[in-house]
Amino acid sequence: MALRDDRSTPTQRFVTYAALTLLLSQVMIPFGYVFVTAFKTPGEVFEVTWLPEEWSLEAWRDVFVVNEFHINLYNSLIAGIGSAVLALLISVPGAYVFARKRFPGREILFYLIVGTLIFPFILLIVPITITWIQVGLYNTIVGLWLAFQIFAVPYSIWILRGYFARLPRSLEECAMVYGCTQFQAFYKVILPQAKPVIISVMFLSFLLGWNDFLFSNMLTTGDGPRTASVAIYVASAGGERIEWEVMMVMTLITGIPPVILYILAQKHLSKTFSV
Amino acid sequence: MKRSQATSADRWLIVVFLAPTTAFMVLLLWYPFLQGVWMSLFRWPFLGTPEWRGVQNYVDFMAADYFWVALKSTFIYSLSTLFQLGLALTAALVLNQPFIRLQNLWRGVMLMAYAMPPVVVGAIWLFLLDPGLGMVTHYLLAWGIIAEPIYWFSDGVWARWVITLVATWTFWPFMFLILLSALQAIPGSLYELGEIYGANLWQRFIHITLPHIKGAILVVVILRLAFNLAKIEQPFQLTGGGPGYETSILSVLVYRFAFMSGDFGMAFTVGIFLVVFTSVLIFPFAYLYQRQFKPTL
Repeated sequence: MALRDDRSTPTQRFVTYAALTLLLSQVMIPFGYVFVTAFKTPGEVFEVTWLPEEWSLEAWRDVFVVNEFHINLYNSLIAGIGSAVLALLISVPGAYVFARKRFPGREILFYLIVGTLIFPFILLIVPITITWIQVGLYNTIVGLWLAFQIFAVPYSIWILRGYFARLPRSLEECAMVYGCTQFQAFYKVILPQAKPVIISVMFLSFLLGWNDFLFSNMLTTGDGPRTASVAIYVASAGGERIEWEVMMVMTLITGIPPVILYILAQKHLSKTFSV
Repeated sequence: MKRSQATSADRWLIVVFLAPTTAFMVLLLWYPFLQGVWMSLFRWPFLGTPEWRGVQNYVDFMAADYFWVALKSTFIYSLSTLFQLGLALTAALVLNQPFIRLQNLWRGVMLMAYAMPPVVVGAIWLFLLDPGLGMVTHYLLAWGIIAEPIYWFSDGVWARWVITLVATWTFWPFMFLILLSALQAIPGSLYELGEIYGANLWQRFIHITLPHIKGAILVVVILRLAFNLAKIEQPFQLTGGGPGYETSILSVLVYRFAFMSGDFGMAFTVGIFLVVFTSVLIFPFAYLYQRQFKPTL
């Protein structure tokens, strides 16, 4: 950016800053109010005020003591980690071969996988639920990990393949001249080069598990591995009896870690997506 | 470049590396899909014995009084993609201006809603739009814009737009991130050249910016059209598909039939319609992309 000279006119600057202010406020005002609400007492939630009369931590206590929300958070964490590990194991080798080797049927295989990206994956919930019941994966964390791959793997292969294909063609040949085997060339030379994209894939598929609701809700019950998203949905379906201050605490606790992760991963993500 | 003959070591690597991917593709994508097609020919309860129905599920669905209601809602909901593109393009152009300071901070703020679980964002809007204690209703009343509270989630006309706009608010940063990357990849010298030749701001946008990000725009529109129609936790949470079937976009119907009525055959039948609907919507954009960029493997 620094390379480009700034020749903007004052009008241009004014319009740009006005637009920036609008864009930021449509994000900040709702979240700001959520933040304030999380520190209100149950009585004050019913008044639209921006400064609570007393800042209360009652809702924060209730979330853990009454709702035992840490159990749900732990389930989400495990769901996310498993989702990321599986996605890497399945998609990294496949994407590498798609990007850098030639073999018959390569194109059709690639499209059979990545084409499903534009497939409304939610409909696979139907057969997956029935099968998971039959094979005993229903209501288990492993069942969730596998189900997340329906979306995670095609997406990961698509991103990884693009990145692997952009690496110089001669990398493996050089490695093999220096005595590496095919496999060593892959993990000693290519993998370190692909660090940004691997971190991106890990991050995106972790979030897929952490953020998912549809599969987690369908494939678990109350006494199974219920994730934070499902717990929030259940709490939000309470109608008149919703304790909003408690709910806003839950949304903050569940929503902020992904935002922090995004900011941490941003450097790698922008390398990955700068096609 | 000369391509050497595949050695046997090469062939082994290909086979071993492809094994997990292929197993995944068969076991988690295509087998379940075909199994679903098979199930759609039955009355298939959650637990219990399936009962053969042939194409009766399809006939029943098309004849149902909610069929057109659902299609209409799905169409309105898919307009969210258009709104997302408008917001994302504006934000990307704003943040790409060289004089904006703290660019990274603003980018982080803007993607907040997208980073969070959709159910979290849904819960937030459930609160903000609550007719009794919600902030939105409060200010609209206080400023005299409305005379009495609007029941956003149970009024059919409003409910449709509420779920569409909440989806817009949640998912636009996805497009924003990719479009910003595309904008930042345009060489600055092109703009200088444009200026030397006397192109004004608008002309530079049309002739330099737009051609460079056209591919990115098509990709995000295709992906978001597909994702938006499948990411239905918010409609499910905010309106449950109601009132009646007013906000039952096709994928909510899939979920309603599977999760609430336990009618798995019918659920997949609706899913097939969703596949067709999504493909029809995506086709023109995919065609444009294919024609212009011919993605090569």
